[in-house]
Amino acid sequence: MKYFTNLSTRAKLLFSFGFIWVMLLVIIVIAYQSLQNITQSEKYLFDVHSKIALELRQLRSHQNFNRAAILDMMLTKDKTEQAAIENIITDKGKDIADIIEKLAKLKTEQQFQNRLTELKSEIEAYRQTRSEEISLIQKGKLEEAQKVATNIQKNRFEKIRAISTEMGDNAEKDAEAQLTLDLQSANTAILIFVVFGIAALFFSIIIVIIMNRTIAQPLTEITKIAARIGKGDLNVEFSMVERQDEVGILLLTFSRMVDILKQMATAAQQIAAGNLTISVVPQSEKDLLGNAFSQMLNNLRRMTKDILEGVNLLGSSASEILAATTQVASGSAETATAITETTTTVEEVRQAAQLSNQKASRVSENAQQVSQVTQTGQKAVEETVSGMHEIQNQMEAVANTIIRLSEQSQQIGGIIASVTDVADQSNLLAVNASIEAAKAGEQGKGFAVVAQEIKSLAEQSKQATIQVRNILTDVQKATSAAVMATEQTSKAVENGVKQSTQAGKAIMELAESSGKAMEAASQIVASSQQQVVGMDQIGLAMKNINQAGTENAASMLQAEKAAKGLNELGHKLKELVEQYKI
Amino acid sequence: MKNNQAIAEQTQNTKIDWDKIKSKVAYLQEALSGNDVVSHEDKHKILKIRAKSLSLQKTEYDSNQENINIIEFLLGTESYAFETEFVREVCLLNNFTPLPGLPDFVLGIINIRGQILSIVDINKLLNLPVKGLGELNKIIVIHNAKMEFGILADSILGTRSISINSIQTSYTSMPGTGAEYLKGVTSGHIIILDAAKILNDEKIIIRQDI
Repeated sequence: MKYFTNLSTRAKLLFSFGFIWVMLLVIIVIAYQSLQNITQSEKYLFDVHSKIALELRQLRSHQNFNRAAILDMMLTKDKTEQAAIENIITDKGKDIADIIEKLAKLKTEQQFQNRLTELKSEIEAYRQTRSEEISLIQKGKLEEAQKVATNIQKNRFEKIRAISTEMGDNAEKDAEAQLTLDLQSANTAILIFVVFGIAALFFSIIIVIIMNRTIAQPLTEITKIAARIGKGDLNVEFSMVERQDEVGILLLTFSRMVDILKQMATAAQQIAAGNLTISVVPQSEKDLLGNAFSQMLNNLRRMTKDILEGVNLLGSSASEILAATTQVASGSAETATAITETTTTVEEVRQAAQLSNQKASRVSENAQQVSQVTQTGQKAVEETVSGMHEIQNQMEAVANTIIRLSEQSQQIGGIIASVTDVADQSNLLAVNASIEAAKAGEQGKGFAVVAQEIKSLAEQSKQATIQVRNILTDVQKATSAAVMATEQTSKAVENGVKQSTQAGKAIMELAESSGKAMEAASQIVASSQQQVVGMDQIGLAMKNINQAGTENAASMLQAEKAAKGLNELGHKLKELVEQYKI
Repeated sequence: MKNNQAIAEQTQNTKIDWDKIKSKVAYLQEALSGNDVVSHEDKHKILKIRAKSLSLQKTEYDSNQENINIIEFLLGTESYAFETEFVREVCLLNNFTPLPGLPDFVLGIINIRGQILSIVDINKLLNLPVKGLGELNKIIVIHNAKMEFGILADSILGTRSISINSIQTSYTSMPGTGAEYLKGVTSGHIIILDAAKILNDEKIIIRQDI
């Protein structure tokens, strides 16, 4: 048994199956032989006997047909039909001939051959008669034909039939005898079969049991173990039997596999526990699990590192987002306050715009008034200018008069000069007279008095002339003053004219500018109305912004919550990841 | 605006009373036409005032003293005088003819009623400093038995009679070398020149050498 167990499964199977095959072979051989015999006999039966019977039957049928056909021919008067029938008969005749030939070949028994020759001759005779019949029919001698048919032909026909039937019966008998023989041999064969079969069965059962014990049971065990392993339960024990066949090897390898799996399992447990520091060495290049495990470890390590990095990043980003959202939240609060301020400012601006509108309309009114005033001013300026011209004319007249006065005073001056001269000369004369008087002495005293009087006269006149000269000087001064005054007046008038024209221009400019002011005022009115409208729109927009701001604030709160959640998540992830030691 | 206000004020202040002016002009016209505009009493008053201003000062007439008559004249800023006995006449300087080759104190010659006289500038002769330009259009003709020429003067103040005692013969205040020609100074600061000396001076005589 040990030897058997240590055989390889192939050998075992070969042995077992070989044994059975041998048995089978024996059975098969026997069976083959028996069957061969049976088939032979069957074949012989068939070939010869049955076929003979069949052929004979066929012959008989053909004969019948021909017979019927001849009779038919006799009945019809149609030539064409007769011709046709004749053809058919001829054909059938040929068939019959063929059949006879076949029969001849089939069985070579003498008796049979004799009978067959007999038949053949009979058929020949029949055929001849038939030909005669046909010719008779064709000639139209139906009665004769009929006579022939019913007498000779009939007898021949009957004979043919009897022969053929006999032959057939003989054949059948032969067949039956053969059959019984066959049956006997078959039974023997069956007996042999049964015996051998039982033996084979018995042996095969034994083999099955052996095989079961050696192969199937261990395999089932292994299957169970495999099933358990399949379910994941690696706590399996192998009943280690020292076998060197495949099963043994299988058990060995299975146990090794289980060990390996246990290793992997422990490794997996380690990984599960979070220790990624372990290393898994694949058993070989093709170690799927080991490679996968090592790769998995690498990937896990890498992934854990990446995750850790990512988690850190997440954490930092989350905190940043949180900070940003808090900032935005505070910023939105500021925005809200700014919006309220802006709204109030907008309101103020609106009011200011309305005010400016009012003012502008008032300015417009004023400008109109101003334009009227400027018109009157313009007229006044024109009048002023004409008045100025009047003054200038008058001033010219005055200047002319003054010039004449000046000339006349000059003349007076000349006269005064001559009077002064006279006075001087009188003075000198007086002096001379006094000298002469002094020279005259006593007699000259009276003359001295006269001379003195002359002198005093001269003095008087001189004084007078001096006075007159003073007055003249004054007059001249006055005249020049007057001339200057006139000049100044003239200049003043010119200035006045200039200023009046300037005033006129200024008034014109004023009128223009007031016109422009009016235009501008009306534009201001329009634009301030637009401003008011715009301010309303801005107010509306501010409300919208406010609303948006509140919504924004709400969403910001949500975002803040989310960010907080994210932050917490980040922390959790970090904790989770840090469980794994890389 | 201020200018306008000032101008308005000015016009207000100097608002011309044309009626007053017209009446004044009419009055003047009357006066000039020769009609009596001033009343007799007013005339008298005016004349009296004039007479007073023009009347001669009463001079201290000391009969005991000897008086001399002098002619007073102005030259530059100083008033000089000659004795009347040496003065022939006085006259105006009309047109004098300058002669070449004469010393600088001789100005030239003039024609007085057909008589040719030379004119002497006292300033240059007496080397007096010339202070300013006077009129220099009066001639005082001084003469003695031999010599006769004219002295330039600014203006003749007149003749007067002064006592000899009042003449001071101090020479200190006289600048220049003309001190020798001084006769004296009166109490009225009139410098009396010695006409005789001037006339007899050798310098006056000009030779005809050119």
